Amino acid sequence: MPKNFLTIALPKGKLLTDSVQLLTQAGIDCRGVKEDSRRLLFDLPPNQARIIICRPTDIPTYVEHGAADIGFVGKDTIIEQNCDVAELLDLKFGYCRFVVAMPEENLPPILPNGEYDLNFINHKRVATKFPRVAQMFFSSKGMQVTPVKLHGNIELAPRVGLAETIVDIVSTGRTLRENNLKEVAQILEATTRMIANRVSYRIKYERIQELVDKCRELLQEK
Amino acid sequence: MKRSPLGLKLPEGMRDMLPEELARLEEMEAKALKTCRLWAYQKVATPGLEYRACVEPDAYKHDDLYKFFDKNGQILAIRPEFTTPIARMVVSRLKNPLLPLRYCYSGDVYRNNAARYREFRQVGVELVGSGSEVADAEVIALAVEIMKSLDIPNFQINLGHNGIFSGLAEELSIKDQLRLELEDGISRKDMVRLEGVISQSPLPSTVKELLLAMPHLTGGDEVLDKLKGWSHLQAIQKAVESLQNIFQHLEDFGVKDYVALDLGILRGFSYYTAAIFEGYLPGVGIPVIEGGRYDNLYADFGVNSPATGFAVNLGIILEQQTEFRVEKAEILVYGDSQREVIKYCCKLRQEGKVVEMVLEPLSDQDVTSLAQSKGIDQVIKV
Repeated sequence: MPKNFLTIALPKGKLLTDSVQLLTQAGIDCRGVKEDSRRLLFDLPPNQARIIICRPTDIPTYVEHGAADIGFVGKDTIIEQNCDVAELLDLKFGYCRFVVAMPEENLPPILPNGEYDLNFINHKRVATKFPRVAQMFFSSKGMQVTPVKLHGNIELAPRVGLAETIVDIVSTGRTLRENNLKEVAQILEATTRMIANRVSYRIKYERIQELVDKCRELLQEK
Repeated sequence: MKRSPLGLKLPEGMRDMLPEELARLEEMEAKALKTCRLWAYQKVATPGLEYRACVEPDAYKHDDLYKFFDKNGQILAIRPEFTTPIARMVVSRLKNPLLPLRYCYSGDVYRNNAARYREFRQVGVELVGSGSEVADAEVIALAVEIMKSLDIPNFQINLGHNGIFSGLAEELSIKDQLRLELEDGISRKDMVRLEGVISQSPLPSTVKELLLAMPHLTGGDEVLDKLKGWSHLQAIQKAVESLQNIFQHLEDFGVKDYVALDLGILRGFSYYTAAIFEGYLPGVGIPVIEGGRYDNLYADFGVNSPATGFAVNLGIILEQQTEFRVEKAEILVYGDSQREVIKYCCKLRQEGKVVEMVLEPLSDQDVTSLAQSKGIDQVIKV
C-alpha cells in the first residue's frame, strides 16, 4: 500500500450523501459509492484511497485503531464513544441537538426564569442511546439519574413506562412531537466532524491536511 | 476442585503467550537491551506494585490505573509505566548520584483502557541529570538505533516540543480559564475546539495566527527558520533554538533522516516539558515509541533534576510480526533402559546440546515419526 493511501470511514444513513458530496467536490472521486446493504468497501484506485461504510457509532473505533485513517462522524458520537482520535474539522452538516425530553403530561415545574426545573428529574430513569453524554450532563448539574441504555427508538420508552425521561438527538423535533414528548433542556449542539487517527494524521499529514484545507474552503464558499 | 467457567477465561485485555510469540518478543527485547548496553545504559527494575500516590497522573486526568487496597487500606496501583517509578527510585535510593544517570528497563506495564491489550511489554531508557540538547539527541538517536536493531523498516520518528503552549501562556499571562480550555483542546487533539477557543479569545491577532498555525508546522528543520522569523516571543525563540540544536546533534549521530519536525504532536497535561518525540509504524494506529524531556517530574518528588527518555511499546510491535520461529530440540533420545537414556541426555546437555527424551516406551518407527512431527533432526537410541 503506498504511504499516502487513505482509508476513509463514512457513516451509513443520512450523513452519507453529504459526506460523499463533499469528498467528491474536494477531488476524491467517489463515483459508485452508495449505501448498498452488501457493499461496505469501495476502492478508489485513481485517488489512492478507499472508502468503508459502517455504522456511525463504529466510526471512532475504526479510526482509533487505525483501520481507517480518517472518518466522518457526528460530534454526538465522538463525545459518547470517547475515543482517542484527532478532531480536524467541523463539516457543518448533519446538525442535531442533544436534548432532554419528557412526556407532555408529566413536565417539570417551570422556574421563575422560564426554564424547567430539572431537579424534578432527580433519581428518575433516563432512556438514551448516549448514557455517557446523559451522565455528564446530569452530573454537571449536580443531579443523579439512572441511565437506561437503548439502541434505538428512544421515544418509545416513556410511553410504555420504561423510563420517565429521555436524552436523545433531535434535528427537526418531529419525532418528539409525534410521541407527545417535549424538550425540557438542551444539552449541546452537534454537527458532523472529520476525525483522524492520531498516527495517520502525523505520518500522512500532508495528504490529510490537504483534504482538510480543501473541505474548509468548500464549506466557506457555501 | 473443578473451576467455574470464569476460571477458564482471561480478564479483558489480558493475553497468554505461546512459545512462538514469547520467543519473538524476548528476541526483540534482547536486541533492544543489547543496544542500550552499547550506549552504556544500565538495566534497573522497579516493582510491579506502587502506591497510587507515586504513579497517579495529574489530578485532572482520568487515570487508567489498575488499583486496589493493601491490608492497611492504602491504595496500590500496578505500574502503568516505568518513568515515574524510576524517578521515585532515584530520588529515594540515591542520595548523591553521579549524574547523569543512564538507566534502561524492560517489563510489562498495565493500563486499564479499552483500545488494545492492557498488559504489554515496554523497553525504555531514562537519561537523568542533563538538561542539554545533546542529551535529547542522544535518547532520540538511541531510539532510532533500537528500531534499526529490531529490523523494523519504515519507522519514522516525529520530533515536537511540549513547552511552547505553556511558555506562551506564561509569557502572555493567559488567564487560567482560557489556558484550561486550550489545554483541554490540545490534550484531546480537538482542532475544532482549539480553533474556536483561539479565535474567540482576547489574544492579539498575531498570537492567534501563531497559535492556529503551530500544530501545522511539520516537515524538515527549515520550518524552524520560518517560525523563528515569525515571532520574537521568548517561548518560541527558546523552543526553536532548542530544536535546532537537537537537529544538529541528530545529524552528527547520523540519524537525522529518520526524524521529522512536527509541532503538531499534542500531549496536553503531561509531565513532558520540552522536546518530545513519537515513533510511528505505518498501519499501527498508536505510537510505538513515546518519549521526551520531563524536567519537572523529579521536582515533584522533591529533587530538581532535568531528565529525558522514551519507551518502546514492544507489545504493539509484536502484533505486527508475521514470522515466528521457536527453538526446537536438536536431538531426541530414547532406549530400553530409562537409566541409560537419562545419563546419556545429561551428557549431551553438558556438551551444550538441546536434548529431548522420550518418556514412554515407543517402537523405533514411532520414535522416528515423533521426531519428524516435532521437527527434530537427530534421533539417538541408547
